[in-house]
Amino acid sequence: MGTRLTGLLIKEMLQFLRDRVVLILILWLYTVEIVICTLAVSFEVENMPLAIADLDRTPASRALGQSFLVTETFASAGQPASVTEATAWLQTGRARAALVIPEGFQRDLARGEAPAVQILIDGTDSNIAAQARGAALGILGRFGAAPALERNGRGNAQPVVRVWYNPERTYNSFTVLSMIALAALMVGVIYPAASIVREKEAGTIEQLRVTPIGTMELFVAKTVPTLVMGLLSIFPSLLIVWWFGVPLHGSFALFLALSAVFLVSAVAIGVLIGSISRTLQQALLLSFFGLFPILFLSGTITPAESMPEVLQTLSLVSPLRHYMDVILGVFLKGAGLHELWPQALALAAIGTPLFLLAAWIFRRSPVG
Amino acid sequence: MKPSRVTAVIEKETKEIVRDPVTVGVALIMPLIMLFLFGYAISLDVEDIRMGVLDHDRSPASRQLVDEFVRSGYFRPAGAYGTPQEVESALQRNAVKLALVIPPGFQEALARGETAPVQALVDGTYSASANLVAAYAETIIAGFPEVVAPAVRVEVRVWYNPSLRSANFVVPGLFGVILMAFPPLLTALAITREKESGSIQQVYASPLTPAEFLAGKLVPYGLIAFLQIVMVIAAGFLWFAVPMRGSLDLLLAVGLVYVFVTVGIGLLVSTITNSQVVAMLLALIVALMPSMLFSGFLFPIFTMPYVAQLYARTLPAGYFVDFSRGVVLKGAGLPELWPAVALLFAYTIIIFALAVWRFRKKVA
Repeated sequence: MGTRLTGLLIKEMLQFLRDRVVLILILWLYTVEIVICTLAVSFEVENMPLAIADLDRTPASRALGQSFLVTETFASAGQPASVTEATAWLQTGRARAALVIPEGFQRDLARGEAPAVQILIDGTDSNIAAQARGAALGILGRFGAAPALERNGRGNAQPVVRVWYNPERTYNSFTVLSMIALAALMVGVIYPAASIVREKEAGTIEQLRVTPIGTMELFVAKTVPTLVMGLLSIFPSLLIVWWFGVPLHGSFALFLALSAVFLVSAVAIGVLIGSISRTLQQALLLSFFGLFPILFLSGTITPAESMPEVLQTLSLVSPLRHYMDVILGVFLKGAGLHELWPQALALAAIGTPLFLLAAWIFRRSPVG
Repeated sequence: MKPSRVTAVIEKETKEIVRDPVTVGVALIMPLIMLFLFGYAISLDVEDIRMGVLDHDRSPASRQLVDEFVRSGYFRPAGAYGTPQEVESALQRNAVKLALVIPPGFQEALARGETAPVQALVDGTYSASANLVAAYAETIIAGFPEVVAPAVRVEVRVWYNPSLRSANFVVPGLFGVILMAFPPLLTALAITREKESGSIQQVYASPLTPAEFLAGKLVPYGLIAFLQIVMVIAAGFLWFAVPMRGSLDLLLAVGLVYVFVTVGIGLLVSTITNSQVVAMLLALIVALMPSMLFSGFLFPIFTMPYVAQLYARTLPAGYFVDFSRGVVLKGAGLPELWPAVALLFAYTIIIFALAVWRFRKKVA
C-alpha cells in the first residue's frame, strides 16, 4: 500500500508541474493579481476634485480654501464664479465636492459672528462622500478651533489619537494580505477540482479504477499534494509582500501552520466541486462563481463588521473570514497563538467536517 | 448579408442554449446573487464599534466621557481593562477596534481648568474604517466636557444620495459590471466550443460569410445579456428602492449599446484562442476583473496611481458606470452625458470591426 501511494503521489506531483494553464494561473493569482488589486483597490479618498466657490475673495477666505487643498483628501478642480456654476460642475462630474464661502466671510469672522460655510458633496459614491464629509468637518473644525479655545479658557479634554498597526493609514498592507488569503483559497479549490475533472475528461479514471488502488488512496493522492503545493505557492507572494513594504510582526511558522489548516477547508471544497462536475469548464465556472460570495462575505474587500447582522453571522461559517483575522493578525499586529486560538479552533471546526464530507462524496461519485 | 442565413444560425444557436439549462440558469441567477451580495455586503458604514476602556482615573468625569462615547451611537463598550498589556492584547485579538486610555488625575485637571490628554488607540488594519473611527473619537473627546463654540458654522449638503445609502451607490454601478461578467464569457465559449468540437469546419465550408455567422451567434447572447440588465434594473428599483431620477428609456437604450460592447468582447476573445478553458480565463481576465477593479464601481478612479488611471480610462465599463449613475441618481440626460454615450458607440464599432477582421483571417 505504501508503494502504491508513493507512486500515486509522484504521478500527481508530475502532473501538477506539467499542467501549464493551472501553473500559470496559480502564479498569476499570487503575483500579478495581487499587484493589480493593490494598485486599484482602495477606498481611501485622495485628490478628490473640489470646486471652491469663493464669493468673499479676502485673505481669510483664501486661507480657508487653502486649508482644504493642503490636505491629501482634496485637490483643486478650479474656482467656479458662482454657486450655479459649482452646481453644474457637480452634475457633470467635473467636481465631486464644492466649498461655498459666502460674501462677508472675513468680516463676520473678525466680529466673532461665525459665518456659515457650505459644503456640497456628490453623494453618488456613498463611501467617498462619508469620508469627504468627515475630512471637511475636521478641516473646518481645526480652522476655527484655535481662536475659540483661547476665548473659552476652561478645562477641556484633549484628544491624542494613535492609529496602530498601520500608522500611515494606507490600504496597501490590507489589500496585499487579503489578496494572498484569496489566492490561497482559489488555488486550494481550483487545483484539486481541476485534477479530478481532468482524469474524468481524459478517461484515465477508468485505468485507475482497474488497478488495485483503493478509493481512499486516490483521495489522499488528490488532496495531500495540493496542500503541499498550496503552502509552497505562498512563497512567491512573499516577494510582493516585501516589495510593498508590508511588515511581518508575528511568527511566520505560525502563519504557515494556520494556512495549512485553512487549506484543508479549501481543498475539501475543491474535491466537492471536482466530484460533482463533469467537465473542466463546469468545474471552473462553479469554482469562480461559488467563490465569489465567499470572497465578499469574508471581509476581504470591506470589513465584515460593517455588514448587516444576518450576513455577519453567516460569514462565521466561511473559513476565509477566520483566515483573514489570522493573516492580518500575524503580519500587522504581531499576534500569536495566544490571541489567535479562537480563529485556529474555528478553522479546524470548519475544515474537519468539510473534509470528511468531501471524502464521503468522493467515494460515492463516479470517480471513486 | 442574407437574413435567411442569419436566422438559421440564430435558430441553431438558440437550440444549443435551450439544451444547456445549467448555463442559462447560471447566467440568469448569478446576476441577481451578485446584486444582493453587493447591495448588502459592500458597506463601509461604521456603527457599533467595539470599544475598550483603560480608565486610570475612575472618577465621575472619566465615566461621563465613556458615556458620551456610548451615547454617540457609534460605539459599544466591549471591555474594561486594568493594564496597557491587556489593552494591547484586546486590540490584537480583534476584540476591540478602539481603546480609550484616560489618564490619572483626569477629573482634577479638568477642574483646575487645564487640558487633559485622552488617548484613543485605533486599530488601523482597515484604513477607511480607522479614519472614521479616529474622526468620531477625536470629535467626542474634543467636545468634552462641553462643545467649544465654533468659529465657523458648517452646513454640509450631500446631494443625489443624502442618506448616503450604500445600495444607491452600488446598484447603478452594478448594471455596468454584471454585463462584463457573463455576456463576454458565454459568447467566447459559444464560438470556441465549435472550434474544439470541429464543427467550425462545417461553418467554414458553408456559404455563410463571417459577418452572418457572427451576427447569428451574437443575437441570442445579446438577448440574454439584455434580459440580465432588465432583470437587474428591475430588482434594483423594486427591491433596493433605488430612486430613478432620469429617463428609464435612455438607460435601457444606452444599456443596449453596452450589451453589444460586452458581447463583442466575447467574440473578440473567441477569435484569439481555440480552447474553451483559455477563452474562459481570458474573458475573466480582460473583461470581468478590470471592470470590477478599474471602473470606479467600488474604488474611485481619482485616487489610483496615474498609470492605473490611464488604464482605467481605456475600459468601456467605467463609462457605462458613470452614465448609469448620472441617469439614475443625478437625473442627468444626454446634454450632460453625451461624451460617455458617444464613446460607448465608438467601442462597439471598433470591437466589432476587430472581431470580424480576426475571424476572416481564420477562414483564409
